[in-house]
Amino acid sequence: MKKIFLILIFSNFLLSELVLEITQGTEDPYRVALVPFKGDKEISDTLNKVIQNNLVRSGEFKIFESEKLLSLPNNEEEIVFNDFKILNIDYLVMGEILTEGTNISAEYQVFDIKKGSKVRTSTVYGIPNKNRQLGHYISDGIYEEITGIKGIASTKILYVTQKEDFNLVIADADGANEQILLKSTEPIISPVWSPDSKKVAYVSFETGMAKVFIQDIASGKREIAIENSSQISSPSFSPDGKFLSLTMYQDGNAEIYILNLKNKNLTRLTNHYSIDTESSWSPRGSKILFTSGRSGSPQLYELELRRFNSRPKRLTFDGNYNAKGAYLPNNEGIVFVHRANTNFQIAIKYFDENFIRPLTEAQMDESPSISPNGNVIVYSITDEGMGLLSGVTLSGAKFRLPAKKGAVREPSWSGFLR
Amino acid sequence: MFIFRNKLNFLIVIIFLSSCSSMNVTQEKVSSGGVKTVEATSINNENIRYDSMAVFANATIYFEFDKSNLTSKSIQTLKSTVNALNENSSIQITLAGHADERGTREYNLALGQRRAETVSDYLVLNGISKSRITVKSYGEERPAVSGQNEKSYSKNRRVEVN
Repeated sequence: MKKIFLILIFSNFLLSELVLEITQGTEDPYRVALVPFKGDKEISDTLNKVIQNNLVRSGEFKIFESEKLLSLPNNEEEIVFNDFKILNIDYLVMGEILTEGTNISAEYQVFDIKKGSKVRTSTVYGIPNKNRQLGHYISDGIYEEITGIKGIASTKILYVTQKEDFNLVIADADGANEQILLKSTEPIISPVWSPDSKKVAYVSFETGMAKVFIQDIASGKREIAIENSSQISSPSFSPDGKFLSLTMYQDGNAEIYILNLKNKNLTRLTNHYSIDTESSWSPRGSKILFTSGRSGSPQLYELELRRFNSRPKRLTFDGNYNAKGAYLPNNEGIVFVHRANTNFQIAIKYFDENFIRPLTEAQMDESPSISPNGNVIVYSITDEGMGLLSGVTLSGAKFRLPAKKGAVREPSWSGFLR
Repeated sequence: MFIFRNKLNFLIVIIFLSSCSSMNVTQEKVSSGGVKTVEATSINNENIRYDSMAVFANATIYFEFDKSNLTSKSIQTLKSTVNALNENSSIQITLAGHADERGTREYNLALGQRRAETVSDYLVLNGISKSRITVKSYGEERPAVSGQNEKSYSKNRRVEVN
């Protein structure tokens, strides 16, 4: 576990649309010189801002802009490695934007200063008027090259907004580029992605009662997951995309079932007079994590799916409210909503530790969703009665996504899209 | 060293060229990521059964935090509801359970349902046919009042009888 400490607080020089409140980060961030991309000035400015923002938001990078550098090479031959060594810079990134008619692409190189050599050269072919996307792809390439972990700048976040009506919205991981999937006058809750990130499932009250819908993102085609006279909620796709776990109320009480999406067969998982809901799958699909009130307060339990007659195993014992859990992608622990006294926080519990680590300290933090690389958790906060989205990295950096019109809540992180 | 990836998206083309043993060379294409907007058509079936007679059975029952048991005050209220339902045997009612905003949305949806079921059980025990009752929950999605304090929360933990 890396030690964390206070580095810096960014005020207003970064993008106005994204509030970065990096209060903590790794003690030893990667020091990266970002030489402005050559080519079209406007596109270059966009790329530089997007890349810098993405890397800083991870909490693992310190970026050196051109004014902080001793020399600005125009090409590979002009690099004076010593000018960067003096500043203790680990990596140098430089690139060029190439435009041909409406076609746009970017070439970039990553240099390892200590080695004094080029470690990556990449080309990304963009889409007209989607220069931010181009920047996200470049960010992810740089992040992956330096950390050895896949980047999440090119992933998406799904969430619900409410002004008067309810919207189900998809946006880039930095909150930009919002696109509406569903508009409704009735509540929408519990949105989740399919494992291939091509579909979403959610609960809509449009029929007058909670029902689970599955919607194709590109075509807008949607269907009710399963017909039933009582309410249905809390969908979660299995990692192979073949099953959907959900909460059904046909006995008058919340119980968890698994729906086979192909033949619509239902398998009942829980049978208890208390509430059982908020199911989610382990990374390999062998376990289901869920919230149950069977101990007298909401607590997290897991169920082995591949063992005969397995019984739910209680995972949380500290605190009077532990709910809405999800497994880390590496299956080393769970992230959930935790209340010790009166405040709801996002917390993590590693399986090899017998205590809970709170990740946030506000009063009403909810709906954690983990990035596909397992490094960042996005969640909803309440600020002066308003719902907003925030993020926290496991290295300790915190950020807040841009405020939208109306309340924003229930973020859900896509899989890798790149 | 090369980085191997699982590429599911057919739009992405990644080509590794091994010109130098210690350098990664990649090519890829930004995915278009199209999104279609859909508008949900709401079926507002609640208004359909709001005939003048049903008004006699209207009531709101309140609950404690994370609780679904009836208080003595609630039972008094429900006694009038039972009387109204007995006097007007044609009335169908909907019991809509609600929770305050604290806690998770799905747990609150289940809690609202439990509260509505508790009221349903009371009515059935007192001779009302279950076929006259529809039970559902809105969880914390339809608060009666806004505000982050116990006064507001207590007004939102409720079952509405309509």
